[in-house]
Amino acid sequence: MVAVPAVLLILTGACTGLVGALLGLGGGVFLVPILTLVLGVPIRAAIAASLISVIATASASATVNLNRGLVNMRLGLVLEVATSVGGLAGGLTAAHLTHRQLFVTFAATLAVMGVLMAARSGRRNVIPASEDVEPGLLGGRLREGETTYVYRLKRLPVALLSSLVAGAISGLLGLGGGIIKVPFLNTFCGIPIRVAAGTSTFMIGVTAAASAFIYFSRGDVSLPLASAVCLGALPASLLGAHLSDRVHARYLKILMAVVLLAVAARMAVAGL
Amino acid sequence: MGGLAVSASLLVAGLTLDRTDFLRWGILVLMATPVARAVVVTGEMLRERDWLFAAVSLWILAVLASSVYVAVGR
Repeated sequence: MVAVPAVLLILTGACTGLVGALLGLGGGVFLVPILTLVLGVPIRAAIAASLISVIATASASATVNLNRGLVNMRLGLVLEVATSVGGLAGGLTAAHLTHRQLFVTFAATLAVMGVLMAARSGRRNVIPASEDVEPGLLGGRLREGETTYVYRLKRLPVALLSSLVAGAISGLLGLGGGIIKVPFLNTFCGIPIRVAAGTSTFMIGVTAAASAFIYFSRGDVSLPLASAVCLGALPASLLGAHLSDRVHARYLKILMAVVLLAVAARMAVAGL
Repeated sequence: MGGLAVSASLLVAGLTLDRTDFLRWGILVLMATPVARAVVVTGEMLRERDWLFAAVSLWILAVLASSVYVAVGR
């Protein structure tokens, strides 16, 4: 395998970890293309390193998000069941799709989500607690400064479907699935962007771990490569999780929209 | 957080001293972090007698356990 300087890998992990933590992603959507196309790492080793980096980013972010009350644990648990089923089904489905069909479908979905997120970035999913609305079983409360808001989960079937798809792509592409979950939860399901991101960090660590053990046992993990990437991702994702509190929700959504469109373009090029 | 600190320390030591065994254990500790979190959440749900979500959490633990079982079996 091509020897890549450790400093470069640490920097790569730091960049992907920082952006990932801001948006509730694991960073795999950036990391796999950078490792393979820019640094010449073989795809299996890149996916394995990405899964482990997702665990690092998710675990570090979740620590901050749990303390801030941004993780909706019950919602995360329910959606993670769908994700795990998706992971099992993903392998079966992928066998019937061509490389081109997979990538183009994924690219189209992300592109539509990116446009929707940008168009709806000014909308909020929160209700002032003063309006005396109950959050329901899978909703919750969110504190921003001195104000407490309530949010309710809408369209549970959509949330479950998005988690199912996220699980399917996770093991195949070395992603945590946050790139699907966060936009769907925020755009269609009434979940505030910070809670969607925080809950995602809780879920994607579990999702990535389920695949990571398999890759590790197969010997696909390049220990120096994965270690260097994680050493960059760990502190950067802590920083990203802390910074997300200082960024206005609208700008987080716009950043997410940009990421979605960039990844969609990259996937479309890979598929066509 | 403790698990992350242990993992990071092993990874730093492994890369600095060129010790593959440190790197292997650092990665394994890191991979165990979500599993440990799932165990803690399951315990919390059981303690709160929230049987529905305890069952959901146990399902997720079972999926993780099956993944580890398949990996160890190789």
